[in-house]
Amino acid sequence: MRDKLPPTRRRFLAASLQASAAVVAAPYVITSKALGDATTPPASDRIVMGGIGMGNMGSGDQRAFLARPDVQYVAVCDVRKKWRDDAKGRVDEKQGSRDCAAYVDFRELLGRDDIDAVHIATPDHWHSLMTIAACRAGKDIYLQKPETLTLREGPLMIQAARRYGRVVSGGSQRVLEDYREIVDPCWAGELGRITSVDIDPGPSSMACYLPAVATPSDIDWELWLGPAPWEPYNPGRCDGNFGTGGNSWRSYIDYSGGSLTDWGAHNFGGTIFAAGLLDLQPTKAVWHRAAADGQASAYATLVYPNGVEVHCNRPKQLRPADTAATISHERGITIRGDGNAATPRAVPAYRGSGGIYGDFIECVKTRQRPFRDLEVAINTMTAPHMLGLVRRLERSLEWDRAAQRFVNDEEANRLLDRARREPWTL
Amino acid sequence: MAYDHIPLDDEFKALAAFDWGADAAPLAKLDAAVIACHGDAALTADLERRFGEIVTGKASRAAKEYACRKLSMIGTAASVPVLAPRLADPAESHMARFALERIPVPAAGDAIRNALGSVSGDLAIGMISSLANRRDAASVKPLAALLGGDAKLAAAAAVALGRIATPDAAAALAAAKPQAGPVADAVIDARLACADAFLAAGDREAASTIYRSVAATVGDAPKTHRSRAVRVAAQSGLLACLDDTVAP
Repeated sequence: MRDKLPPTRRRFLAASLQASAAVVAAPYVITSKALGDATTPPASDRIVMGGIGMGNMGSGDQRAFLARPDVQYVAVCDVRKKWRDDAKGRVDEKQGSRDCAAYVDFRELLGRDDIDAVHIATPDHWHSLMTIAACRAGKDIYLQKPETLTLREGPLMIQAARRYGRVVSGGSQRVLEDYREIVDPCWAGELGRITSVDIDPGPSSMACYLPAVATPSDIDWELWLGPAPWEPYNPGRCDGNFGTGGNSWRSYIDYSGGSLTDWGAHNFGGTIFAAGLLDLQPTKAVWHRAAADGQASAYATLVYPNGVEVHCNRPKQLRPADTAATISHERGITIRGDGNAATPRAVPAYRGSGGIYGDFIECVKTRQRPFRDLEVAINTMTAPHMLGLVRRLERSLEWDRAAQRFVNDEEANRLLDRARREPWTL
Repeated sequence: MAYDHIPLDDEFKALAAFDWGADAAPLAKLDAAVIACHGDAALTADLERRFGEIVTGKASRAAKEYACRKLSMIGTAASVPVLAPRLADPAESHMARFALERIPVPAAGDAIRNALGSVSGDLAIGMISSLANRRDAASVKPLAALLGGDAKLAAAAAVALGRIATPDAAAALAAAKPQAGPVADAVIDARLACADAFLAAGDREAASTIYRSVAATVGDAPKTHRSRAVRVAAQSGLLACLDDTVAP
């Protein structure tokens, strides 16, 4: 008569945990090549993937996932024909078939129920919208950095990921792989308590006033723009990838935060990781005006709730002299500690094998949180976004993390987000 | 740099004649003026008026877009009558909304909500999106009225009600009975969003009612990634409601 026992919290939890585990633990099982072979795991151990945004970073991510025997790659999506065709070609060549589907509209790819996980490497203005849509579709997501374009997007993305139990990994491989020489001493306690950091983030993005040129037939321009304001086609808006001086979409404010958030995702990521700030967001962004005598340029300081100050672009002459508790990285990061004894901690590592891509796949299988879990990524991106706003407004800001708003600055709060062009909505 | 030391007449003339591809150097001074006028109501009002004249004048789309971006930063209730008539124009609607969505006065929300009743298709979805971003509780009734109509509008309205997440919004979503498909999915997503918001606010009873209802809704659904994810959301929500160690 167990069925008639009154529900108790303990009994409910046990039953629900079993049910949840059954629901969450197993990715969708494909049927082809179900038993596997000497080099390919059985179908139940393979993750079925598709890619959205197959340009420079997207193709790199695709190659990494394609190389994995535990990934079955079935679909690509891009609004540009060349990149779409190239991406499909790589899959078909690798898998010896012509089965890889190619889509212009990401919603069609997300609508396929045989796909367990997607990687997203579109321009930044699409990231939040696609991530939330993928979470609602029950997909796990490897999302290229910078994960967000605005401050408001982050919490909405985290809510969606947590609500639907999705594994969402940010895409900055450099955080763990490029900054070990500063991470290891910090986590070993060699600097004592971390007190301050100097970092030299790159420029913010800028407005784009490029002239109209004829739209080529191999791009769906409306879909490339998506939620961004309508602007006429110009290859300078959408070509390129890494340029931030006006020669790629990363230069422009409608599509990117510029080098500030692009390389910032790496440099702030490494800094925040090394300094133990992964769970924190700044409480203040202090704007230091340029010296009237022209001897020192303007800079900003992000103040974290544990007292750590991250000085951004602070002029060299204003920086304190190095001590035995100072460590620097060639990418312009200097970390200072108080030099007192500190308890060593184990440095977090990727799960599985194969770097950050293997970490993601292992977490898809095991339902653990990845190294650059979305929440860590959003915390990280809060720093360059706040820095971008104090640069733009040229005044200090105070951040209420719980409310996700600036304190007593309604004009700054206006810049937390921007209206998306119809018909796109978060 | 004090704004009152910058005449800006030449810059506003340049803006009035501006188009994509033209020399943007004059715009940099306008950018600086918008930042420098912070805290000075009179100077801000002067800039707001002059950007409004660009919006209502015969300037190019590029110039009007620029002016709307600036009004999104400094606009007040005075800009609402300037922007509201643009909401129904397909070429200007988004940038008018870009400004209105950010202007923190009730009149801006009223303008967007009123426009919802007079536009259709994608433009209406745009209004819905902005009302969601403003978490405009006064829009629950008109949004609820859309749940039984055009599928795209109904789905957008459902998402917006989930963002607004008031008891009235949750009730409207609970009353919706869409057939299986995108609207039904959007209603479920929105109901879960409401439940999460209620739980975060400490109302476990209201939250658990929704989670149970959603769990029942998907109980017999075919096993898909989507239905699995919804079950996870409903079950984990119920767990959180029962677990008094989870801080609301």
